[in-house]
Amino acid sequence: MSAPAKKRLDDTSVLLSILDHLPTSIFVKDENLRFVYSNQLHCDIIGKAEEELLGYADSDFYPEDEARVFTMHDRKVLDTGCVAVDEEIATRADGKSIPVLTRKVKLTGPDNKTYLIGTNSDMTDVRKRENQYKALTETIPVGVVQLEEDGVIAFSNPLFNAYCGGDSSEEGIKAFIDQLGKTQTGFPGVSSKFETEIFVAGLGRRSVIAISSGWLRIGGNSRSAIISVVDVSEMMELRRVNEEVSRLNRELADNMKRLAAAQDELVMKGRMEQLGQLTATIAHELRNPLGSVRTSAFLIERKIKDKNLGIDVQLQRINKGVLRCDNIITQLLDYSRTRQLECQSSDLDTWLAQVVEEEAKKLPNALLIMCDLNLADRLVPFDPSRLQRALLNLLSNASEAMLGSGDGWSGKKSVNAEIRISTQCTDHHFEVSVADNGPGMSSEVMARVREPLFTTKSFGTGLGIPAIEQIVAQHGGELFISSEVGKGSRFVMRLPLDQASRNQAVG
Amino acid sequence: MSRQLNILVVDDDAANADSLAELFQMENHRVIVAYDGVQAIEAFSLNKVDIGFFDVMMPNKNGVDSFMEIKATNPDARVYFMTGYSADDLLDKAVAGGALGVFSKPVDLSRLLQAVEAEAA
Repeated sequence: MSAPAKKRLDDTSVLLSILDHLPTSIFVKDENLRFVYSNQLHCDIIGKAEEELLGYADSDFYPEDEARVFTMHDRKVLDTGCVAVDEEIATRADGKSIPVLTRKVKLTGPDNKTYLIGTNSDMTDVRKRENQYKALTETIPVGVVQLEEDGVIAFSNPLFNAYCGGDSSEEGIKAFIDQLGKTQTGFPGVSSKFETEIFVAGLGRRSVIAISSGWLRIGGNSRSAIISVVDVSEMMELRRVNEEVSRLNRELADNMKRLAAAQDELVMKGRMEQLGQLTATIAHELRNPLGSVRTSAFLIERKIKDKNLGIDVQLQRINKGVLRCDNIITQLLDYSRTRQLECQSSDLDTWLAQVVEEEAKKLPNALLIMCDLNLADRLVPFDPSRLQRALLNLLSNASEAMLGSGDGWSGKKSVNAEIRISTQCTDHHFEVSVADNGPGMSSEVMARVREPLFTTKSFGTGLGIPAIEQIVAQHGGELFISSEVGKGSRFVMRLPLDQASRNQAVG
Repeated sequence: MSRQLNILVVDDDAANADSLAELFQMENHRVIVAYDGVQAIEAFSLNKVDIGFFDVMMPNKNGVDSFMEIKATNPDARVYFMTGYSADDLLDKAVAGGALGVFSKPVDLSRLLQAVEAEAA
């Protein structure tokens, strides 16, 4: 490879043109501080062409005090021969003052004369950014500190210093940073966000501080940890108060709900009491004439005995009618009865066996009733007369579902009609279950079966199951109903063993 | 052979009282009818009553209070009650006071006649 031809550009006009295109303003002054050269940018700042500058001094263009500072700096350079870097304020030809960073050098020219060569850069944008940054760090409600990798504190804003308790010395700040990171391993060497409760000297109290730290690359390969801290004690307190308010609101809503329920119950109780009184009156008023109808029919039967008048069927109808009316009244009384229970602890199994034996006589012979009693002589609390009513309702419902009412209104005839009555004990309850193998109930019927006045029978008050449910509820228990079409239905009365829960339900 | 009884029937519902009276007469018993509690007390004081069938709710004096008064002078008075609905408190009082039993209205007549027969035996 041959050596390149070496020729240096030394055309003065080209060099001057290069200087005119530099982004730095350049000027040269003689030993009397009069301009002997100005590049284009320097001319732009002063607002004059180079020809208008040459031979003039700063005092010819700049305000007096600015010119005095320039001259002072210039003299120092010429006197000492040292390079001077100064920040100066220069008011431009357009009247706008700009910060400039000036570098001045003393130089001896080829003519052996002394010259001052100056360059200056417009610092407006830098200052603007600095001021923005300063305003930002001074006004944000966050304490910020910049910690260099070697542990030097590069910067801390006033709020951070305030947290340090006014001790913004490097030691004071480092001590505070140590305190912040006590519970956080790796802090501040890793990016982290956490809260810590510490005594903050600057606040004079224990405070909850939210901390966020992370690395900031400053340029080159050096980096700093930026740590920001916020006192969130008030926020935490607000959050706590807010939670408390929410809790109280929920409590209030619950209480309102309970109050509404209690009101409903009172209204219901009032209605039931009215209904009870009304029913009692109706029962009394109807049963008296029913009694005389029955007795009269009985007397007629006696009187026409052996006379073959052929009115036996009619008399039978009268008797059945009386019986049916009586049953309706009984059901109404069952449903509307509001008197307090009279619970006693009894041997339920023995009592149940007697009741079932007695009632079985009144049910069709085709019915098979089986008992599976498992309380093993255990005494459990119940009101015998009320539970008997519930049981009778269940038995007659099951019987009628399978075999009809015996009034000839239904064509139903289940083959092998069975009713299974069983008892059992769980931890806190005892259960009396009545299951049949009858036609069962459709989902539509199941959905309405607990409704008062709902009935699937031609002659029914629709109060049977509501009455059972009421009796069970008075005991503080629950009635469970399950049914499958074609397989049968099962009613389970689950009553509490504990007298206290019953009293609560009644009270 | 059962004996003839003096039976007191007390009911403010005349149809009830009269039809029961007729029934007992048909069974060859002597019957006195009273239509309220005061009449019942009077009937007991004037007659030798073997057995009484008392309604509970009646004007002037209810059946149970009348029975308690009768009991005071006739400790051996034998009385059944008949009621259209269970006036529980009154009936408890009656049973505690020595009533023989309670029939629900409309009364099951075969049970009623059984009771009378037992008394006459």
